Amino acid sequence: MSVESRGRILARVASATASRARLPHPGVLVTPAADDPAAAFVKRFTSSGGEVVEADRGLERSAWLTRFLRGLDPEVVGVAVGPEVPPELRPRLPEVAAAHAGAGISVAWAAVAESGSLVLPSTGTRAVQLLPPVHVVWVPRGRVLARLEDALGEMRRDLPAGVGLHSGPSKSADIGRTVVTGVHGPGRCIAVLGIRTPRATSDA
Amino acid sequence: MDTGTGIRDYAARSREIIRGDPGVRESVTGATIAFDERRRQGYAEVDADAWRRWAEGVKNHTLTHLDRYLAEAEEQLQANGARVHWAADAAEAREIVTGLAARRGVGSVVKGKSMVTEEIDLNPVLEAAGIEVFETDLGEYILQLLEEPPSHILGPALHKSLEQVQELFAERLDTARDGDPDTLARAAREVLRGAFIHADMGITGANFLVAETGTIALIENEGNIRLTTSLPRVHVAVVGIEKLLPRMTDLAGFLQLTARAATGQPIGCFVSLIQGPAADPGDDGPEEVHVVLVDNGRTDVLAHEHAWEALRCVRCGACLNACPVYRQTGGHAYGYVYSGPIGSVLDPGLLGLHEAMPLPFASSLCGACEDACPVRIPIPELLLEWRREAQEEGLTPWKERAALAGLASVTTRPGLYRLAGKIGSRLGATGAARMLPMLGEWSRDRALPRPSPRTFRDLWREGIE
Repeated sequence: MSVESRGRILARVASATASRARLPHPGVLVTPAADDPAAAFVKRFTSSGGEVVEADRGLERSAWLTRFLRGLDPEVVGVAVGPEVPPELRPRLPEVAAAHAGAGISVAWAAVAESGSLVLPSTGTRAVQLLPPVHVVWVPRGRVLARLEDALGEMRRDLPAGVGLHSGPSKSADIGRTVVTGVHGPGRCIAVLGIRTPRATSDA
Repeated sequence: MDTGTGIRDYAARSREIIRGDPGVRESVTGATIAFDERRRQGYAEVDADAWRRWAEGVKNHTLTHLDRYLAEAEEQLQANGARVHWAADAAEAREIVTGLAARRGVGSVVKGKSMVTEEIDLNPVLEAAGIEVFETDLGEYILQLLEEPPSHILGPALHKSLEQVQELFAERLDTARDGDPDTLARAAREVLRGAFIHADMGITGANFLVAETGTIALIENEGNIRLTTSLPRVHVAVVGIEKLLPRMTDLAGFLQLTARAATGQPIGCFVSLIQGPAADPGDDGPEEVHVVLVDNGRTDVLAHEHAWEALRCVRCGACLNACPVYRQTGGHAYGYVYSGPIGSVLDPGLLGLHEAMPLPFASSLCGACEDACPVRIPIPELLLEWRREAQEEGLTPWKERAALAGLASVTTRPGLYRLAGKIGSRLGATGAARMLPMLGEWSRDRALPRPSPRTFRDLWREGIE
């Protein structure tokens, strides 16, 4: 039945548009690119409720993250870590399933200044990005792109099955028009800027 | 309140809401004014006129090449490992989804907010098949508990006050009667978190479908759609055929413009871009992705000489927020899933003008909707077009037709016009209006200013300085 409907729908579409002028595509929407994408990202992301931190340069990344997570919540004993996170960026805390973790740790493919978004491919584990109440995302150095079009244009050449753009914590104003956070996804979304990863090194 | 559908009852339902449940007007007006203000701020941060003209152009191009882009999207989705289904009408769409659920032994479903699944009335057939269905958008979940349809495209429960939700959750989720929004949201999260983890199937709509890459794009703020498309083993996206965009770079503009029009945000807190089932070793996404492309009247709209422009709609709700008529009643008065200004121009095309009467008349034609629309749909112009067709087809009430014929007769006969003017000035405008068939009801609750005892003609004859 679906096959018959396919033919019927496409024929109806063709017939409906047959006598209409075929209008041209207007081309690319040109939006301004920030001079300092990292600063523009911080401004946009934090204005949507996201948080940005810089790792302490005096500490190993792993030790810094462990201390940072304990500072967020001393009770955090278990974390969920995406498979894309290299050993030197994993906290020294027990790894547990995402549904039981106090925090999820991911590495972004890139961040976008224009929209204040973290680009998270599904080559990382989606549950890690979504189920824990806190999501900490390492952003590789040199990977803050100015415009969303830059990110999607670059990504379209090698798209994974799924991509999430996270631009702040989970929120809703459906009850009494009061904004509440952490409704379904993480109530805190924290970007850690300026890390050097194997990918960033090769890009540099 | 009875919230069953039935467009024909628009006037009666509006009266019932305005007089019987004034809290609706208060909640809807407050929420839509706030949304509209944020939309203005969101537009002010960018060159909104240029963005809107660009978006109009992209959608016009897509709609005039729709057969090509539908075929391209299908090819890409299949190459990505997704299955594509085509549904000519609502019944076929329901059959496809319930068939998929039955064949895969689905016991429970989580849903992301989706107008098209409301349009095809999907939940009752899933439930009749013994499948447990959870609406996971917080507003939709509230309405599911109340067994009500959504009242607004974006904020489905914006007609409900905090007190009403407190009462509902106290009864259903055992929360405190004075629970604050945070506590109430946490209670809903507890229930729905379990549903996400145990669901076999996730069902969503789509904001856009990108032909070039076969990408289903979904915008939201809660994260429930990300979860719906990530955790269950099967994801089904039900997508209207007008949702196509040609390229990923087009999507970049539309994601931002839609968010700005809807809530003033630069982008939704979460955007899901789905190409197909999980393929990489670390990916815990769905094993199967199905896309159901739905016509259900859209090709009729596309064929209409004027109404096809309404298919540019991105379902942002900006026109509802700007509309002084919608603000009085919310969406339930309209009797169909697409309400407000866009519903009044889209529904006649989707359902047939006869079915959608009197929605083209449910507008003051102030034009605020067109100014707010991110894809510049000429809503007032389309309303007038539907009104003209309704008049031609004899679909307007006989009293109204008689009144307009009478008005035409009076205004084209000077003697009769003078006589009517004199009667009007003696009776007063309100008194005269009450005697007339079309204005009688309109003037019941309104007092018009008293007209001058002397007509303009009298003054003219006496000489006006």
